[in-house]
Amino acid sequence: MKSSMQNDASGPRSKDNAGAAPAPDESPQVSIDPVLARSRQQDRAAPVKISVRNLNFYYGKLHALKDINLDIPENRVTAFIGPSGCGKSTLLRVFNRIYEMYPGHRAEGEVILDGRNVLSREQPLSQIRAKVGMVFQKPTPFPMSVYDNIAFGVKMYERLPRRDLDERVEWALRKAALWDEVKDKLHYSGTELSGGQQQRLCIARGIAVKPEVLLLDEPASALDPISTLKIEELINELKSDYTIVVVTHNMQQAARVSDYTTFMYLGELIEYGETSQIFTKPSNQATEDYITGRYG
Amino acid sequence: MNLVPTINTDKPHTGLRRGAWLDRLFRGATQLSALLVFGSVAGILIALFVGALPSLKKFGFGFLFSSQWNPVTEMFGAKVAIFGTLTTSAIALLIAVPVSFGIALFITELAPKWLKRPIGTAIELLAAIPSIIYGMWGLFVFVPLFADHVQPWISEHIGSWPLIGSLFVGPPMGIGVFTAGLILAIMVIPFIASVMRDVFDIVPPVLKESAYGLGATTWEVMWNVVLPYTRSGVVGGIMLGLGRALGETMAVTFVIGNAQRISTSLFMPGSTISSTLANEFTEAVGEMYTSSLIELGLILFLITFLVLALARLLLMRLSAQAGRSN
Amino acid sequence: MSLYTRRRIVNAINLGFAVATTVFGLFWLVWLLWTLLENGLPWFNLHVFTQNTPPPGSSGGLLNAIVGSLIMTGMGVLIGTPIGVLAGTYLSEFGRASRLAPVVRFVNDILLSAPSIIIGVFIYEVMVIRMGHFSAWAGSVALALIILPVVVRTTEDMLRLVPDTMREAAAALGAPQWKVISRVVYRAARAGMLTGVMLGLARISGETAPLLFTALNNQFFSSNMNRPIANLPVVIFQFAMSPYEDWHHLAWAGALLITFSILLLNILARILLRSRTS
Repeated sequence: MKSSMQNDASGPRSKDNAGAAPAPDESPQVSIDPVLARSRQQDRAAPVKISVRNLNFYYGKLHALKDINLDIPENRVTAFIGPSGCGKSTLLRVFNRIYEMYPGHRAEGEVILDGRNVLSREQPLSQIRAKVGMVFQKPTPFPMSVYDNIAFGVKMYERLPRRDLDERVEWALRKAALWDEVKDKLHYSGTELSGGQQQRLCIARGIAVKPEVLLLDEPASALDPISTLKIEELINELKSDYTIVVVTHNMQQAARVSDYTTFMYLGELIEYGETSQIFTKPSNQATEDYITGRYG
Repeated sequence: MNLVPTINTDKPHTGLRRGAWLDRLFRGATQLSALLVFGSVAGILIALFVGALPSLKKFGFGFLFSSQWNPVTEMFGAKVAIFGTLTTSAIALLIAVPVSFGIALFITELAPKWLKRPIGTAIELLAAIPSIIYGMWGLFVFVPLFADHVQPWISEHIGSWPLIGSLFVGPPMGIGVFTAGLILAIMVIPFIASVMRDVFDIVPPVLKESAYGLGATTWEVMWNVVLPYTRSGVVGGIMLGLGRALGETMAVTFVIGNAQRISTSLFMPGSTISSTLANEFTEAVGEMYTSSLIELGLILFLITFLVLALARLLLMRLSAQAGRSN
Repeated sequence: MSLYTRRRIVNAINLGFAVATTVFGLFWLVWLLWTLLENGLPWFNLHVFTQNTPPPGSSGGLLNAIVGSLIMTGMGVLIGTPIGVLAGTYLSEFGRASRLAPVVRFVNDILLSAPSIIIGVFIYEVMVIRMGHFSAWAGSVALALIILPVVVRTTEDMLRLVPDTMREAAAALGAPQWKVISRVVYRAARAGMLTGVMLGLARISGETAPLLFTALNNQFFSSNMNRPIANLPVVIFQFAMSPYEDWHHLAWAGALLITFSILLLNILARILLRSRTS
């Protein structure tokens, strides 16, 4: 499988190739662990999991995403960053067509997942959502027990006997680093957990159906710093099994957690590439301005 | 890129097709129910109209202005009943509106925090008491007291005043249009008061604070700032109460005296549309009699419909206004 | 007198007025409840629950009326609630962009404020005349029509309170819309919806007018849905308007029973709502 990423020997792909490399003494404020950076750079052979081609999105008459072209590599963490209103959440929500719940929201173009266009009318929603899971900004435990929360999604796709279901619930909770904290409390209502636990519950719930892609929409922004750290560790562990896309407004988090970063502004994709390069040598002035905190 | 389509076959997708069909079924069921609601009201209108047809054909528009009500000669007119309905409701509002305003003012501005909820609940319990209870209490407890102690006093002192004096003369029977109006007022107060309280509560605090900051008294803030601001909602709430008063049956039936005539005095008995229906419907013989009664019902339904439509309009205007100022 | 003093006096007067009106309102409530207790309690005994309504001049109870009321209000709730919940679901979940929804909402409000005696006349026209006789079914349907708009309103309001992110989370897991609504949204809103049904039940328990022309009344014990059936409100009406002492006593006992049951339902409903939404 030929990957479009392999063509980028020269550096991150950028919208504006008129090149605006930062001056030597103007290094951005975010620090990258050099060992990590090097290992990521060697990572050229990541196949593409999701391919976005000529995507335009509209909220009614508002043209919210403009001609997006992007590749999401498999089993890596890709971060979407940008100032408020740039369209990063909008783009994320295209991947599982969750926007279809609302009248007037419409997407044009192609989002190719494993060779099939997600946006095509013939693609049943359930199949997409079986493969692509989502975790939202605000933890949303269902009004049922912890166990039932996890089992909810599983029961939709599989008919498991009770014992297998128990195992799956435990597996999901372990993967989400929540098992030890709730193993005696499986019958507690999901709403009785702390904020950080609730969010990990939502992650466990998403994992339990064994998706291939995880979409995380600002997963830690409603949490305290300790919980945030736990979520970030979790993301790092999960990426070996899942393709992860994270939307975040926290650049440090993006730098810590992601392998690839996409910078967006006003509905357009400005620049995307390996995180280490985006944060040390962005090729677009707008990207650099955002990263160095000049705006947003 | 590999273009061979692949679907993840790790898990069996049981019931995906069934899911879509169930979705349609569920959605259809909800739509059907919504249409049923619509159909019920349309059905009421149609049934009333059909039932009133003989009377409509015989009496035409004159029905509204004729004060005849004679089952023997089969000559009927709605004037007495409409007059009674409108008068009792008017009296009810005259009493209920200022009282409700006072209660809403008390609850929102004057009551200490711990008192707000109990008083609010107590007032709302007034609304929960069934109307037949009001009727019984009215007839057996209030009316005798009113007839023996209050009514003679009023007749004596106010009865001799020019103009409005004639409203208050009459034998001290206790029953009558005034009593019915008073009891209606008590029944309607909780409705108007809770709407007023709700709209007073959503006045932005900054508005009140800026008035207080200028040194205004509590009353001045209420009268000059809060009330104008909530004007639409208040009027909407009043109309809601009016709608309730217009349709109220049992309490009125007990105390209005059920006389098919219009008198100048409020202390004399009268009839409302609903009390006429309650008293005479099951005993009505003859198509014209029944049909005239149904026509009364149709008139009442249309009046309440009108009042409600107006109330809705005003309440919508208030929420639009509040939305804009946010 | 200075302007300032004048303003303060006006303020005091009007605030005093506010206190007075509150006392005024509470006064009637207390008087009403006191009357019920005073007149009803002495006659509120076991006979009320074990004996049927007596002919004039003798004593008895209200058993057949109580049973009849329970049957009809139960039926009314059974018929009206599912339709009301579904219609409310339509307004909240499917009707966001439809043109039918605002019309249904408005029409629902009309039904909510329609005088209950008109509902009685309507059911008389379409059921009693058709069937040729009064019946408990007619009474039940009339009550169902009265509780229906209450359930529609509260269901819609409560469902709207459930945040969209919860719907999205369930949909993102692949749940079809009917599952999102029935397994997740209903569950989240169930306390409020139950409260709505309880308040509706409280309301129809006391309704007399719609039963006057539909279920009528029955001197004897009957649970036949196809015949006129005894019920508390109409019995109270009949007994209260009569000249017989015994009947008056029973009317007060019945009034006491109805009122305090309704007040209890109201208070329970409020407690339920407050405990779940806190």
